[in-house]
Amino acid sequence: MKAEARWLAAAVLSLVALIWSTPLLWMMIAAFRPQNFGGLDMASLLPDFAPTLANFAEALDSAEFARLYLNTIVVCTGVLVVQLATVTLAGFAFARLRFPGQGAVFVLFLVQLMIVPPVLIVPNLITVTRLGLYDTLIAAMLPYMGSAFGVFLMRQTFRTIPRDFEEAALVEGAGWGQIIWRVLLPLARPGMLAFSIVSVTTHWNEFLWPLMVISNPDNQTLTIGLATFTRGAESASQWGVIAAGTFLVAAPLLVAFVLFQRQFVNSFLFSGVK
Amino acid sequence: MLNWKSTVAAATLALGLAPAAWAATEIELYFPVPVEGKLASEMKSLMERFNAEHPEIVVTPVYTGNYDETAIKTRAAMKAGNPPAAVIMSANFVLEYQINNEIEPLDPLIEAEGMTPDSYIGQFWPALHRNAAFAGHVWAAPFHNSTPLLYINADHFRAAGLNPDAPPATWAELVDAAKKLTVTDGTNTTRYGFMLPGGYDYLGWIMSALAMSNGGEYFNPYYGGEVYYDTPSMQGAVQFVDDLVHVHKVMPEGVTEGKAVSTAFFAGQASMVTLSTGSLSFIRENMKDDYRVAFMPRNLRNAVPIGGASLMMPKGLSDEEKAASWTLITWLTSPEISGHWSRFTGYFAPNKAAYDLPEMKDFLTQNPDAQVAIDQLAFAQPWFATYNTVAVRKALEDEVQAVLSGNKTAAEAVKAAQATADEILAPYVAQTAFKLQD
Repeated sequence: MKAEARWLAAAVLSLVALIWSTPLLWMMIAAFRPQNFGGLDMASLLPDFAPTLANFAEALDSAEFARLYLNTIVVCTGVLVVQLATVTLAGFAFARLRFPGQGAVFVLFLVQLMIVPPVLIVPNLITVTRLGLYDTLIAAMLPYMGSAFGVFLMRQTFRTIPRDFEEAALVEGAGWGQIIWRVLLPLARPGMLAFSIVSVTTHWNEFLWPLMVISNPDNQTLTIGLATFTRGAESASQWGVIAAGTFLVAAPLLVAFVLFQRQFVNSFLFSGVK
Repeated sequence: MLNWKSTVAAATLALGLAPAAWAATEIELYFPVPVEGKLASEMKSLMERFNAEHPEIVVTPVYTGNYDETAIKTRAAMKAGNPPAAVIMSANFVLEYQINNEIEPLDPLIEAEGMTPDSYIGQFWPALHRNAAFAGHVWAAPFHNSTPLLYINADHFRAAGLNPDAPPATWAELVDAAKKLTVTDGTNTTRYGFMLPGGYDYLGWIMSALAMSNGGEYFNPYYGGEVYYDTPSMQGAVQFVDDLVHVHKVMPEGVTEGKAVSTAFFAGQASMVTLSTGSLSFIRENMKDDYRVAFMPRNLRNAVPIGGASLMMPKGLSDEEKAASWTLITWLTSPEISGHWSRFTGYFAPNKAAYDLPEMKDFLTQNPDAQVAIDQLAFAQPWFATYNTVAVRKALEDEVQAVLSGNKTAAEAVKAAQATADEILAPYVAQTAFKLQD
């Protein structure tokens, strides 16, 4: 009975996993399928053709991928580095310090989660222009340097760490800076890792804000580069090229996931993010 | 890779040469990419050529997404004090920019060249005038334009015993041919006789073509506060589409996006489709079967709306920027460049003189399908442009989609669409038709 239930669970979960991975699988197969403008086999998940690299050649030829990768990596890393500093400090403040209006300030922080980012495009653009940063990569990063979600996540993470560790450090004569750096951060690593994954994937895939703030083609990010050759509205889809381009955009994240799978899963389990 | 290097080369050259003699005016051109293909890279090389021919100006072409995103980016950039010098904007959005007082009239620049606004706009095909020149001024320069066309698969026609050189000219003939071309396998349709794009933007455009072919006008071309949805001409058009799906069963039920329509046409799963002139080059290059291009079939008259985009100049530019922008706009709409872009994309060239050039004459002899789009221009009408165009258009599209899915009748749909549209237009009407103007 028990064994049967386990088999059943495995079967159901495999089915769910298959459904989830279908778009990804299709993308990988379509990227190598010779261009045929949606013949009947277009939607097939079975590789029933001689693989071709023509789609990749056309995609690579359609945009300046080296530069797009570089810009995207700069934006994602820049955002992440600053975010990690701001969210751990703010998270620590909300988790451990006592100050007047703490509850109200924290609620204000959480309210940010409810604001739809496109609403802020014009105000943010005006701020960025006044700072003289319009059309720079820094402008693409600036609005994300604080993160309400990150602060919330780090606050929860710090709260799960028993105070005994800090008290022990205090007794040893550590200041609050040392407590954060030497005691709390090492223990909060899974939470930070989970936040990093969410942050990097979000900014890797972001489209609207970079499109708004960046004009110079040399400063464009991957998503915009991909859109320049895949989003014609009045014509047929070159599915092969779209799939190949999407593959190129998604590949670094996919590779990173495969390489660090165990750490990723552990950190999500630990931090309770799903 | 080559492009990037040549850009750097051009930039170094420009930087190296410019400061010595004069400071070049740096401007930006926002452009959306409305059709497939290498339009973005072609626009880039076009701008390299412009910059080489005009050392006093440096234009950066800025890709800005689709038409809607281009509109968002343009407005946001203007509010932030960074207006682009010129924008390629959906031709029917120009009215809204004028209503909101966001663009410069081009009259002073036209007059400075010794032309009158009338003689300037007279260079372009008559059907394009109303979307570019209204309220007493010229507001935009037509850049690339289209009309809906009927594309037919000639192989399918011959196999069904039809003559591909006499494509359906009326709605009745369309229904007839579509019935013969539809192939069913039991209860399953394996090939549809006819398909039209049902997604947002495209559907509204095709519906306006059908309403116009049915004697209607769709909107008031002289006043942005009126649309004619709850009218016999529109109801008849919606009924026609409904019957194609649910009575004659020659068109798939539900919403088929534009891309899926052209994909089905390429794959031989649809024998006739209505698509934009803008798709012509792409279809010519990629269609394996023999195909023909024809006028949109008529019921009461031949009529189609224009589509495509115009160049406009946002407010907030310095005098040097305005002058540079005008040079760019004039260059892009010149017969030579207009014709070149037309041959590259499939759009027709708005500048009539483009068709007097020998390379265009040769091209039309070799590609008679492009001539059909030109011939249909004699019947072309202005494109719907109202206050809040997108929302007003969507009011109709939502209802027609409900009809396509079999959830509403044509009569219910046009009534509901009219009510929604009137509500959207109400604030503008209150400020205009219902108010004495100063």
